[in-house]
Amino acid sequence: MTSAPADSSTGRLRGRPLSLRLSLWARFDGWGALVLPLLVVLVLVFGLPLAVMLSRSLTDPSFGLQNYSDVFANSVYLRVLGNTFLIATIVTAVTLALAYPYAYLMTLVGPVWRMIMMGLVLVPFWTSILVRSFALVLFLRDTGAFNSALQSLGVIDEPIPLIRTLPGVVFGMVQVALPFAVLPIFATMQGIDRRLLQAAESLGDRPAGAFWRVFVPLSVPGVAAAVLLTFVQALGYYITPALLGGPKNTMIGELIVQQVSTVLRFGFAAALATLLLVTTLLLLVVAGRFVDLQKHLMRQS
Amino acid sequence: MKTTKLLAVASAVGLAVTLTACGGGSSSSASEESLTVTMWGGAAQKAHVDSYFLPWAESKGVTIKQDSPTDYAKIKAQVEAGQVTWGPTEVEPNFANTACEAGLLEKLPQDILDKAKETGVAEDQIGPCAIPILQYSFTIAYNSDTFPDAHPTTWAEFFDTEKFPGKRGFWKYATGGMFEAALLADGVAPDQLYPLDIDRAFNKLDTIKKDIVFFDTGDQMTQMLASGEAPLVQAWSGRIFQAQQAGEKIANEWNDNLVSYDQIVVPKGYPNTELAFEWMRWFLDNLEAQAADAEASIYGPASDKALEFVPEEIRKELPGYPSNAESSAGLVDYGYWAENYDSVTERLNTWIAQ
Repeated sequence: MTSAPADSSTGRLRGRPLSLRLSLWARFDGWGALVLPLLVVLVLVFGLPLAVMLSRSLTDPSFGLQNYSDVFANSVYLRVLGNTFLIATIVTAVTLALAYPYAYLMTLVGPVWRMIMMGLVLVPFWTSILVRSFALVLFLRDTGAFNSALQSLGVIDEPIPLIRTLPGVVFGMVQVALPFAVLPIFATMQGIDRRLLQAAESLGDRPAGAFWRVFVPLSVPGVAAAVLLTFVQALGYYITPALLGGPKNTMIGELIVQQVSTVLRFGFAAALATLLLVTTLLLLVVAGRFVDLQKHLMRQS
Repeated sequence: MKTTKLLAVASAVGLAVTLTACGGGSSSSASEESLTVTMWGGAAQKAHVDSYFLPWAESKGVTIKQDSPTDYAKIKAQVEAGQVTWGPTEVEPNFANTACEAGLLEKLPQDILDKAKETGVAEDQIGPCAIPILQYSFTIAYNSDTFPDAHPTTWAEFFDTEKFPGKRGFWKYATGGMFEAALLADGVAPDQLYPLDIDRAFNKLDTIKKDIVFFDTGDQMTQMLASGEAPLVQAWSGRIFQAQQAGEKIANEWNDNLVSYDQIVVPKGYPNTELAFEWMRWFLDNLEAQAADAEASIYGPASDKALEFVPEEIRKELPGYPSNAESSAGLVDYGYWAENYDSVTERLNTWIAQ
């Protein structure tokens, strides 16, 4: 493939004279209006609250940067924020490592097995996150099903600490995140033309080489979507880490809830949330320098 | 292509309908003859409503509506927005104190405050915006399978992990009693407890930090105690006794118990405030209703005078019972907590994350 000139449709549009843009508008057949409800909803339920949050972080209880300087005055908030990104990164990596082969297997098996595998991913997805987390508590705790089974089999003497540890949190969060990774990866993989692999092999590559050089690069859009969905979602978790994590695994979401619902410092909570949002956006910008997010996420396979 | 367009149109129409519905739905508010009661939810809320809201409501022809759980952020948001839908609301006393000062709650008329004192409610549990509705104790709860012969009977022994090995469960809130317990364990006299020496309390907590596990809800608390995961828990007395009645091998040690209570308040601007006050008067006068609630919920009645209507086997598991009151380490001072909750919570977060 030769490298195409970098001119996305928007780029071309921006370069055109005004009259041409107007003529495009004239060709508008009315279907574009269908996007209006979505825009209205986005502004009402996302844009507006976000604006309120930002303004509250600067005005509640008084105008100024007080809330932000309070965040930086106590090292606990930055430590918990760092911890949040660390856990989200680990969760994303583990989820990807599990989801990629799983999705690949789904493209290989027959329709019946594919349905079963899809069901296995989706059934937990339809169960309340609270129920699943509590079930995991019963399973993972020192006197829980996992440890007591191993103890009665004589495999271990002392229970393995699984709950209130980092592995416990990761375990719990990965099972929540799995569908969000499996589905986009699977969707992308299904659209990949298998004949490309055959072509690579017929040109002399070994099957493994064809997989790495042809299949994996073509699946990157799905992987990028999965990473983004998993990572951004994981940043906001607080129920699972609160139930399965130890004191050291506190995530920023927990502290934000605490500030809103028990300490009632709305402005401070808004500052914490803004900080989380800004850090996330910064991270995406940095990531965008290394990975062309737009290309991977917007490209149609 | 046709189906895509059809789908797109259908979803747009659907959205428009939903939006219109949302816009028009906000006009319903509390009617003349209804009271919206908000509590922490679960079996306890059902017991409270059945024992002392429904009998009054039936005699008055008032409809009781319910919501749960109590959420301080929602109270604040309702009052700030001038759209108050919650009437009588069960809250913790430190919130009642701060919110009352901040003007988020209705001030109670003098006759209710007087009536509370007359009917035997402890004076230090009455606030300008709040009367207590129940009492309980933070007790030393233990797993009787793990400790069949001897169990800790003082907070000092509760903190002694050599004599009584095993994890200790604490409620993950500054007002959960752990600071009081730590200071009592460190030898502070009960009457010298407040204002709390938080530095000293953290030093004491440091000695057992690796054995501390936190719980958030009452279910988690009884579960971790009954499963032996944490064979010792600083617990809410009633929940332990209920689980014990249900056959769990757990029990309360009443020595050194710290008495606590919940209060009922009315958010400022609630349309049926007068009706809520009317209910409060009825509640204070009806010791039998308080007793019925104590029997159903295993929370002590607001007035100790109501204890005489509670059967003996329940009464001995309530904080007002003479021997329990005698061995108590005192009442949690929520006036202190109203002033210090925010700062101690921040220190607790820091300590936990270290």
